[in-house]
Amino acid sequence: MIYKREVKQAQKALWIWIIALGGMSFLIMSVYPQFAANKEQLDDMMKLYPEAMLKAFNMDSLGFDTPLGFYAIEGYLFVTLFGSIYAAMMAGSMIVKEESEKTVEFLLSKPVSRGRIVAEKALAVFTNLLLFNIVLSLINYAGFRYAGDEAIDMKIFFMISLAPFLLHLTFAAIAFAISAIMRKSRAVTSISLAIVLLSYFFDIVQSIAEKFEPLKYVTPFEYVDSAYIIEHTAIKPLYVSLMAGIVVICVLVAYAVYKRKDLSV
Amino acid sequence: MTIIELNGLTKYYGKNRGIEDVTFSVEEGEIFGFIGPNGAGKSTAIRTLLNLIYPTKGSAMIMGRDVVKDSQKIRKFTGYLPSEVHYYEDMKVKELFAYSGGFYKKDCARNASYLAERLELDTSRKIEDLSFGNRKKVGIVQAMLHDPRVLILDEPTSGLDPLMQNVFFDLIREARDKGATIFFSSHYLSEVQKLCDRVAIIKEGRLIKVENMEDIRTNQFKNVSLLFHDASKANVNIDGMLQKERIPHGIRFLYSGSSRALLDQLKTVPFDDILIEEPSLEEVFIHYYEKGGVES
Repeated sequence: MIYKREVKQAQKALWIWIIALGGMSFLIMSVYPQFAANKEQLDDMMKLYPEAMLKAFNMDSLGFDTPLGFYAIEGYLFVTLFGSIYAAMMAGSMIVKEESEKTVEFLLSKPVSRGRIVAEKALAVFTNLLLFNIVLSLINYAGFRYAGDEAIDMKIFFMISLAPFLLHLTFAAIAFAISAIMRKSRAVTSISLAIVLLSYFFDIVQSIAEKFEPLKYVTPFEYVDSAYIIEHTAIKPLYVSLMAGIVVICVLVAYAVYKRKDLSV
Repeated sequence: MTIIELNGLTKYYGKNRGIEDVTFSVEEGEIFGFIGPNGAGKSTAIRTLLNLIYPTKGSAMIMGRDVVKDSQKIRKFTGYLPSEVHYYEDMKVKELFAYSGGFYKKDCARNASYLAERLELDTSRKIEDLSFGNRKKVGIVQAMLHDPRVLILDEPTSGLDPLMQNVFFDLIREARDKGATIFFSSHYLSEVQKLCDRVAIIKEGRLIKVENMEDIRTNQFKNVSLLFHDASKANVNIDGMLQKERIPHGIRFLYSGSSRALLDQLKTVPFDDILIEEPSLEEVFIHYYEKGGVES
């Protein structure tokens, strides 16, 4: 019941985000042929960029000369950063909205346990993000085809599509836990967004300045670094376990907190 | 059989008092009123019964089941109307009823449409377009659509016009005739008087007393103001007179006793004008409060 409703209710926003992000990503890929045609000029131009900037956007290790490399520098940012913002906002409202909108007294007067409410809502978040990522990946694939006839390494493509999904799940889980702890929607949205943006900021900082390198363990954006994925056709196992750990812990925290929470409005 | 039982139920919100050591019970088939001024702790007690909030101390049972441990089972046969009615704004009324009914393992659609018809509620409208009174009706229907054995209603009549209040009272009586036990809160004494068998009175988080409506009926309260052109005549003494106070050109007092006895006594009083009113709950409370609930 709850699961079905949450998935259905999320559709409108979900498709708006998909159209916006997918459209951006597709647009970016559509300019790739021009880039590829002027490769020499591009290389000259790249030499003029400050090294820090090249590092920040992975332009030092990835080249503009393949569709995948081009996507990893330009489009990937949209999918990871803005997708994470979407994930955090969607998951962050999931539990707390019943309190903010004062519908929790209705829901909890029905014969459904709190554990089940958390479980169904968590599942709805997962489903929404899965759908979000599948459709975005399909759009990206179409973008690649459109960009050129070059064969795409499907393994890399799979990895570069899986990584954002894991990233979105990670941020969604964090926001979901906050959603169970707090009582006001607005506060949850602000905190979740702050976490995403701060993580992104840390990621930029740690890739530019070596002395901040330890920061890479606290920013999920580093976990799904496109350069590493394209080079190794894999996500670092350590990072995969870190993300899985965050997801599991956050859902458990949400469950434990919600179980004992006073839900007065 | 005891249906609802509160045992020393206490709830603190941090350091703020919700309710303190509230003990009473509701028997099967009763319509039981729960009255007190705003902020007395009525909603706190009710939300604890529904396990929306956890008790600080004490316990409560509904049909022999603990409200904390067996909350989910209790909610199968309990209907609840919150004092503030908020539903999913994006839903239509009938969608909400389907959603609500979907949680119970039986078909509630027919009952929902019957109730909506009785309350003259248009189920094809969106919740966000409904007035407060209509939202209240939605609340009543979703609380009753699964034929609950226990109905817990938090200020059910606020927002309903008098005509609808009567329909609602009829629905409550019908539910009772079908075997339901009804527990509802109110801050209108007159409403409780019309409907209830017994009533619990709560103030500042503490139970003051539980009264039989029969006793309250024989012990009616009236607010009496007597006006005199000649102030020297204003020395009146009437049996059952409480809290006498002077007002410009006369006196005002709270009367407790039968209304007929009041009229008999007033015949001999040389007043020039008289005003007999229904006292506010506050005034009746002050009376109870002064007595401290010692007398039964």
